[in-house]
Amino acid sequence: MKKLVVCLLAVLLMANAALAMADGLTFSWWGGDARHEATQAAVDAFKAATGTEVTCTYSAWSGWEDKMSQYFASDSAFDVNQVNWNWLFSFTNADGSSKFYDINEVADVIDLSQFNEKALAQCTVDGKLLAVPVSMTGRIFYWNKTTFEKAGLETPKTLADLMAAGPIFAEKLGDECYPLALGSYDKMILMVHYLECKYGKDWVVDGQLNYSLEEVEEGLAFIQSLEDAHVIPSAQTLTGDGADSLDKNPKWMEGKYAGIWEWDSSASKFEAALNEGQEFIVGDYFTDIGEYQGGFTKVSMALCIANTAADKKLAASLIEFLLNSEEGARLMNSQRGIPLSAKANALCQAEGLLNARVAEANAKVMAWCQNALDPQFEAAALKNSDGVYADAMEGLSYGDYSIEEAAEVLVEGITEVLEAA
Amino acid sequence: MTKAGGASAVRPDLRRRRKGLSKLEQGYMGFFLILPWLIGFCVFKLYPFISSLVYSFTDYDLFKGVQNFVGIQNYIDAFTKSKNVKALQVTFAYAFMTVPLKLIFALFIAYILNFKIKGVGLFRTAYYVPSILGGSVAIAVLWKALFKSDGVVNTILTMLGFESINFLADKSWALFIICLLRVWQFGSAMVLFLAALKGVPEDLYEAASIDGASKARQFVSITIPLISPVIFYNLVTQLVQAFQEFNGPYIITQGGPRNATTLISLIVYNTAFKDYKVGMSSAMAWVMFVIVMVLTLISFASQKKWVYYSDDDGRG
Repeated sequence: MKKLVVCLLAVLLMANAALAMADGLTFSWWGGDARHEATQAAVDAFKAATGTEVTCTYSAWSGWEDKMSQYFASDSAFDVNQVNWNWLFSFTNADGSSKFYDINEVADVIDLSQFNEKALAQCTVDGKLLAVPVSMTGRIFYWNKTTFEKAGLETPKTLADLMAAGPIFAEKLGDECYPLALGSYDKMILMVHYLECKYGKDWVVDGQLNYSLEEVEEGLAFIQSLEDAHVIPSAQTLTGDGADSLDKNPKWMEGKYAGIWEWDSSASKFEAALNEGQEFIVGDYFTDIGEYQGGFTKVSMALCIANTAADKKLAASLIEFLLNSEEGARLMNSQRGIPLSAKANALCQAEGLLNARVAEANAKVMAWCQNALDPQFEAAALKNSDGVYADAMEGLSYGDYSIEEAAEVLVEGITEVLEAA
Repeated sequence: MTKAGGASAVRPDLRRRRKGLSKLEQGYMGFFLILPWLIGFCVFKLYPFISSLVYSFTDYDLFKGVQNFVGIQNYIDAFTKSKNVKALQVTFAYAFMTVPLKLIFALFIAYILNFKIKGVGLFRTAYYVPSILGGSVAIAVLWKALFKSDGVVNTILTMLGFESINFLADKSWALFIICLLRVWQFGSAMVLFLAALKGVPEDLYEAASIDGASKARQFVSITIPLISPVIFYNLVTQLVQAFQEFNGPYIITQGGPRNATTLISLIVYNTAFKDYKVGMSSAMAWVMFVIVMVLTLISFASQKKWVYYSDDDGRG
């Protein structure tokens, strides 16, 4: 009996040792097929150049955040991870320390001089650079020009154009067609953009909501006016479409929804989803909302090294290869937005590797948006499908809340999250 | 002689020792054989079970760990926070809608399949298929496609001249759609009912017919009492499963619209892995456990009144 137990323990120990000795890296990311293929090709090139084995884990965004939070919480994250910006703030230990390794410690491997200070600052928490920013992003309008032409309209240049387009769409194309489609989170970002254009203030300052209840009510009234004027479909209509996201919604594919308010880095995904024969264009910011250039930019995504990675220098060398090397830049091109790395950006521009639509949108976003974003804006309790934003926006659309009630839900929910942070 | 005598002198002693060792070995061997299960049970069932109870009295955060003992605050929140109260209401509505519907439907189909009709084997297989497919992710995705605004069901409705229904976005319809997915998986309950129906002695029906009892009367007075143990078994298992339902609402509606399909299981998942509040999530899980346990106990207590066991001298 004793012998059997000893044998069993020995086998377990050997298996454990074998796992611990296994060299190489693990790397995770989310995205669509095009990003998966590009990243896989870049990883293969890294393997060929260094002889390092890299095990990749990747998937679509849906459910990915839940999965990654569990990996990080249990200290079993992959060595290198593509992370969402707000994770740098939410994935922290009880003592305030981070789950991410300080990139400054491997600055001899990663050429940080290629990245601008503003972007690096957004990834710095308590003096530690927790991830290397890949690209910057912000929200902008995209239009299906073909649908607008069918309605006898030009794509909107002003808010007044957009408001006028709603009834014309209903009359000429039918009740199912709308000039713009917005999910709950899209509505929230557009509302903040609207208020920032009107008042010029950042949404959150020093950990406190910088807008009064009355101002939030004004923002919600604007969102409701879009629905009332047949500019956007109601929450019921969008839910009834049964699509996980707008790019997978047949009504977007067919051109029945003719506009979106999306991240500049998402342009290629939405363009690719359209059925053939439809022209997809980048819109302009409306100048008739207010006197300010509202809206925010943020780090779209970043690459981090988990604190638990066995070989941090090796992990850093993968990041350096993907973001700064010529081969990595060529293969990854604009699959994660317009590269922030100056070297990669210059090479992609020189060789015409950037997606024209993404590049145009990114240039417009960077030129327009003037406001700062608080990382808690994307806190799970606010942003999730059962979070505060969805509660207020859907409640308003379903008629469960009046504008005043929805504003209260929003202000109270946001304040609670900001105070808890 | 000496040899033989020597051997016979040693043998009983050896035999005794071997016998004793063998018993010990047998004991160890039994323990060793159940060891994998025991380890699995302790690590994956017992430890999480006990630790979740402990965590339910704390503010355990997925990242920050346990910082404070909060007493019964999580349990108070479970019954006072509007989102949790709504989830409890929806879960009860879901369970009390799906369980009777599923049992009635399963019994009805089993009753039909008990007749001697041509191709009955094929029908039995066909009706069992949904249970094999179950509430899997693929089926949930298919369900969503069936009931979306321009899905198959609405296409048929409009072809028949009815107005289309926004099943997924309407608060009442959405819950019904989720219920329907579970009712559709009636195969396993049906098979058990079928086996029970086959066990009802034919002579009882013959005697009842001679006495002039109608088919309906025979069903109520003979069939139902004699299959009541299986009805009871199905009731308890379906009740437990209904309270544990997760896949349907998670994939089809994500708890929406307006939390109309947010079951407790979904709240448990969202609170732990989206809001990172493991303490609160554990409390909700324990609330769910206690509800299921109480309902099961009520079912067991009630069986004395309506479940007929043939080896008893009458009812229960």
